[in-house]
Amino acid sequence: MKIAALQPNTALRGASVTLQGIGRSFGETSVLEGVDLEISPGEFIAIVGQSGSGKSTLLRIIAGLDQAYKGHLSIGASKGQKTAARIMYQEPRLLPWASVIENVAFGLGPQATRHQAFAQARTALEAVGLGDRGGEWPDVLSGGQKQRVALARALVSKPDLLVLDEPLGALDALTRIGMQSLLERVWLEQGFTAILVTHDVAEALTLADRVVLIENGRIALDLAIPFARPRRRGAVQFGELEEHLLTALLKSKSPSEEYVI
Amino acid sequence: MSELALLAGRHSNRKREAFASLLPISPNGFVPWLLPLTVLVLWQASASYGALPPSILPAPSDVAKAAWRLTLSGELLANAAISFKRAFSGLIIGGGLAFALGLSNGLSRLSERSTDTTIQMVRNIPNLALIPLVILWFGIGEEAKLFLVSFGVFFPIYINTFHGIRTVDPQLVEMARSYGFKGFELFRRVILPGALPSILVGLRYALGIMWLTLIVAETIAAQSGLGYMAMSAREFMQTDIVVLAIVIYALLGKAADGSVRVIERLSLSWHPAYRKGARL
Ligand SMILES: Nc1ncnc2c1ncn2[C@@H]1O[C@H](COP(=O)(O)OP(=O)(O)O)[C@@H](O)[C@H]1O
Ligand SMILES: [Mg+2]
Repeated sequence: MKIAALQPNTALRGASVTLQGIGRSFGETSVLEGVDLEISPGEFIAIVGQSGSGKSTLLRIIAGLDQAYKGHLSIGASKGQKTAARIMYQEPRLLPWASVIENVAFGLGPQATRHQAFAQARTALEAVGLGDRGGEWPDVLSGGQKQRVALARALVSKPDLLVLDEPLGALDALTRIGMQSLLERVWLEQGFTAILVTHDVAEALTLADRVVLIENGRIALDLAIPFARPRRRGAVQFGELEEHLLTALLKSKSPSEEYVI
Repeated sequence: MSELALLAGRHSNRKREAFASLLPISPNGFVPWLLPLTVLVLWQASASYGALPPSILPAPSDVAKAAWRLTLSGELLANAAISFKRAFSGLIIGGGLAFALGLSNGLSRLSERSTDTTIQMVRNIPNLALIPLVILWFGIGEEAKLFLVSFGVFFPIYINTFHGIRTVDPQLVEMARSYGFKGFELFRRVILPGALPSILVGLRYALGIMWLTLIVAETIAAQSGLGYMAMSAREFMQTDIVVLAIVIYALLGKAADGSVRVIERLSLSWHPAYRKGARL
């Protein structure tokens, strides 16, 4: 890949996301209390935080799966009209009774006509390197391949915004590194805004323009990552930043822990 | 669009393979028939040498002769046809109601709250216990048999449809909703296929109950059908016809079970457990 191509293609598309005082509680327990965050079009944000700190809760709100929040959320699509955010989960969540290509075409929603959907699905499958597996059942694929199908399904509708909830958490280390570069490549090519929740600090530093730490239901740290892409994990500054972020993460407490003590 | 045609072709190929594996001509297809054939040979031998008096158990050849005689007279076909019609009318009525109610209770909490407890209570009544009451209501007319069969097949289909829908993976449903699927499209693409394995298990149970109920009902209260044929043969000590009726019941039951297996193989070919070579 040429170096010139390694700049986010913001001219294509990408939604801006604005969160103002987002709060969410389940019964008595307050999980998020006043999250403010501004994400520019085409930006890649990583969210880290301890388990139970409300990362998934925040993502579900942004993705429109949870409406019972306080505060203000606005998603401005590049083309003016509002498009749905796409979400990728830790599990691939493929329909076992549909072939791989049908699963990808599923991402175009119920209105899509079958013929057109299949043509677009084939392109999306090729983009994740599975162009020749369209006719198979999902259960014959490996974990990493299933997650690539899920990525193709999320991207087939060319979303402005992709949110990812620890999508690589269940993969082995080697597969994960391959998936990270795939993710970076499609993001660079397509220019959507990406919000990635991860518990892997190195992953956040490899992929994100900005890393955000959630603590006590708020944003405790908002760190710009200045390294040029493609990033090399071996670099000295990379190691320093990783150390810094890890220390901050370990010091942070999730609200649920406070109540236990 | 040649790639699309290719994909479609691959799909139908898979169905053909699934279908081919059902035919009993595979190399190992003979093994399951070894034991019944041995029994048949021993049975024929002991009857021919007088070890088995015909009034207890007629020889297989006598049963075959009875089958031939009754086929020529048209009696066998007429009785089998009427039994078949009763069985499947009952299955369609009882099974159809059960499927509809299982769907509506699986999909709607309100529907479940208003009917499920009642159904669970009625479920504990063995359907054959209703025979005296049913004869009082309907006499020995067609309605009696129809009622008993419908009642019997209702519960396995209801329970398995309901259970199948309730156990569809909620993560898949959430995923589908996030892609804009709702209402009928959500049902058709996610909920129904997810519930199908369980629904077909219910259908298999229902078929077993269907034959059992019909045999008993026809034996006690009927003027036609295979059960009636066996019962009237008993009065004249025609053991060959009695055994013939039993054999036909067994074959019909096996055929019904086999047809559900075909449906399972064809519609659940995505499921590893139902794929070619898998043994249940
Ligand atoms: N639907 C829910 N009902 C009740 N509590 C919930 C629900 N979803 C999340 N929580 C609680 O909110 C807290 C944050 O959860 P989550 O956002 O999943 O954390 P994270 O993804 O950071 O690990 C946890 O304590 C969890 O128990
Ligand atoms: Mg989580």
